[in-house]
Amino acid sequence: MRGTLRVVAARLGQGLAAALGASVLVWALLPLAPGDPARRVLQARGIGDPQPVEIEAARVELGLDQPLPVQYARWLGRAVRGDLSESYESGQPVLEELRTRLPATALLAVTAIAIAGLGALPAALLAAAYRGRWPDALLRGLSLVGAALPAFLVGLFALQVVVLGRGWGRALSDGSPGQVWLPALVLALARIADWSRLLRASLLESLESGFILVSVARGARRLRVLVRHALPNALLPFLTAVGVGVGALLGGTPIVEAVFTWPGIGSYVVSAINARDLPVIQGFAALAAMAYVATSVAVDVLGGLLDPRTRKAKT
Amino acid sequence: MAVRRGVLRRLAAHPTGRAGLLLTGALIAAVLVGPLVIEHSPTAIDLARKLRAPDGANLLGTDQFGRDQLARVLEGGRRSLGAAALVMVGAMGISLTIGVTAGMAGRLLDAVAMRVVDVLLALPGLILALAVVGVLGPSFTNLMLAMVISSWAYYARLARSYVLAARQRGDIMAARMAGIGWPRIVAGHIVPAVATQLIVVATLDLGGVIVAIASLSFLGLGVQPPDAEWGAMLSESRLFFSTAPWLLAAPATAILLAVTAANLIGDALRDVAAPGREGTG
Repeated sequence: MRGTLRVVAARLGQGLAAALGASVLVWALLPLAPGDPARRVLQARGIGDPQPVEIEAARVELGLDQPLPVQYARWLGRAVRGDLSESYESGQPVLEELRTRLPATALLAVTAIAIAGLGALPAALLAAAYRGRWPDALLRGLSLVGAALPAFLVGLFALQVVVLGRGWGRALSDGSPGQVWLPALVLALARIADWSRLLRASLLESLESGFILVSVARGARRLRVLVRHALPNALLPFLTAVGVGVGALLGGTPIVEAVFTWPGIGSYVVSAINARDLPVIQGFAALAAMAYVATSVAVDVLGGLLDPRTRKAKT
Repeated sequence: MAVRRGVLRRLAAHPTGRAGLLLTGALIAAVLVGPLVIEHSPTAIDLARKLRAPDGANLLGTDQFGRDQLARVLEGGRRSLGAAALVMVGAMGISLTIGVTAGMAGRLLDAVAMRVVDVLLALPGLILALAVVGVLGPSFTNLMLAMVISSWAYYARLARSYVLAARQRGDIMAARMAGIGWPRIVAGHIVPAVATQLIVVATLDLGGVIVAIASLSFLGLGVQPPDAEWGAMLSESRLFFSTAPWLLAAPATAILLAVTAANLIGDALRDVAAPGREGTG
C-alpha cells in the first residue's frame, strides 16, 4: 500500500509539473498574440470605441503594463490560491465559468468511457473466441472504419439523421443525462475500435500460455475459457491502453461538444478561443493538464488493484 | 538510403501497401493537377448559380455562394494534405534534433530535455493544440504551429531511444575504434538510421494528423473563410444537410479517402518495417 501511495504522490507531482509547464507554454506564446486585451475587455463591457485614456486605464487595471514575467508571477500567485483571474468576455471568475460547465463535460466523458469499455469487452471476446471466422473479420473491418472516421463527421451525421431526421433527442442540448447517450456514443466510437482490437490481441496472447492450453484440451467451451482464464490476465495491459485512450477521449470532447452544442467546458473553450479570451485559455490549459494526469493516475491505481501479481507481491 | 528504398519496394509488394500507395498517388495527383484542369476558381462567388446539385457545369455542385465544390474540394485537399505534410516534417525536424541531442549529449542536457518532453506529453495533444491556437489566434498557420508543438514531444522521446540503441550498434562501435570522430558518425550513420525509424512511426500517425487538422478547422480554429478546407467546408454546410447534401458528401468523402490511404500505408508499414512485432492480425 505504501508503494502505491508513493507512486500516486509522484504522479500527482507530475501533474503539477504538467500544469505549470502548460501555463508557461501558454504565457510564453503571449507576445505573439495579436490584438489588445485592454481594448477587448472594454468592448466586452459595452464601450464600443474606447478612448486612448480609457484603454490605458484598463491596461493598468488588468496589470498589462507590467513586464510579462511579472504578469505571469501575479497570475501564478493567484492560481495557486485557486483564483484563475476573470474572463475578458464576461468579467466573471474563470474558475467559476469552468466549474459550472464541468458537470456536463464530466457526464459526457464518463458515459463515453463506460460505453467504450462495455462495447469493447464483448466485441473483443467474440472476436477472440471466433478467431479467423466471420465475427473476427467483422470486428476487424468495423474497427478499421471506426478508426478512419473523424468524430466530428460521425457526430454531424448522427445529429442530422437521429435527432433532426427521426426526432430522437434534441437539437440543442441542455446537458441533461437524458440527452447524453448520442454524443457519448459518438465520442466512444474511436475508442471502441481501438480497445476491442487491443483486448482481442491481449486475450489471444494470454490464450497461448500453458495452463490455458490444458484447459482448452479438456474441451472447455472457448468463450467460457476466455472469460474465466484469459480475461483476468488480459485486463492489465488492456487497462494500460485504456489509460492512454482516456486522454485521447478527453481531447476529443471539445469537438463532440461543439457538434452537439453540448454545454460543457470543451465548447466553452472553443468559443473563448474565438473571442480571444486569454484568461480562460490560460486557466483551462493548467486545469486540463492536472485533470488528465489525475485520470491517468486513477486508471493506473485501478490497474494495480486488479492485477493479482502486484497484489501478491505486496502481502 | 538503402533501407528507405527497400521499404518502399516492400510496401509496393504488400497488398495493403500497394492499395495505400495507389490511393495516395491518386489523391496527390488530383489535388495538384485538378486546379490546373478545372476552369472554376474555388473562391469565385456566383449567386445566380447558388446551391446547384452536381451537373455538367459544376461536377460536384455549388454551395450557398455559388462556388464550385469540386474546385473547393481540390483546393481544400491541397491545404489539408500540404498542412499534414508540413506538420509532420516540422515535428520530425524538431524531435530529431532534440532526440539526437539528448541521446548523444551529456546527462544534464539529456535530463533537461526529457523533463520538458515529459511535461508536454502529460497533456492530451488536442488540448495543447487548442491552448496554442487560443493564444495565437485562429488561423491556418497557427493551426499548423499548434500541431507541431503538440506532437513533437512524442517523437523526440522515441528518437532518443533510437539514438541510444544505435550507439550500441556493432558498426558504430567499430567506426569509433577506427578513430572516426563522433560528429561524422552521428551525421553519417546515427541520424539517417533514426530518421528512417521516425518516418515509419510518423506515417502511422498521418491519418490522425489529417483528422486533427480537419477537426480544428471544423471548429473554426484553422482556415478562415473564404479559404477552402475540408473540415471548414463541412462546418459551413451544416445547415444544408437535407437541402444540399452534396455539399457535405464531397469533403466528407475526401477526408475518408485521405485517412484510409494513410491508414493503409501505415498498416502495411507495420507489417513490412517491423516484422513479427505485433500479433494483432
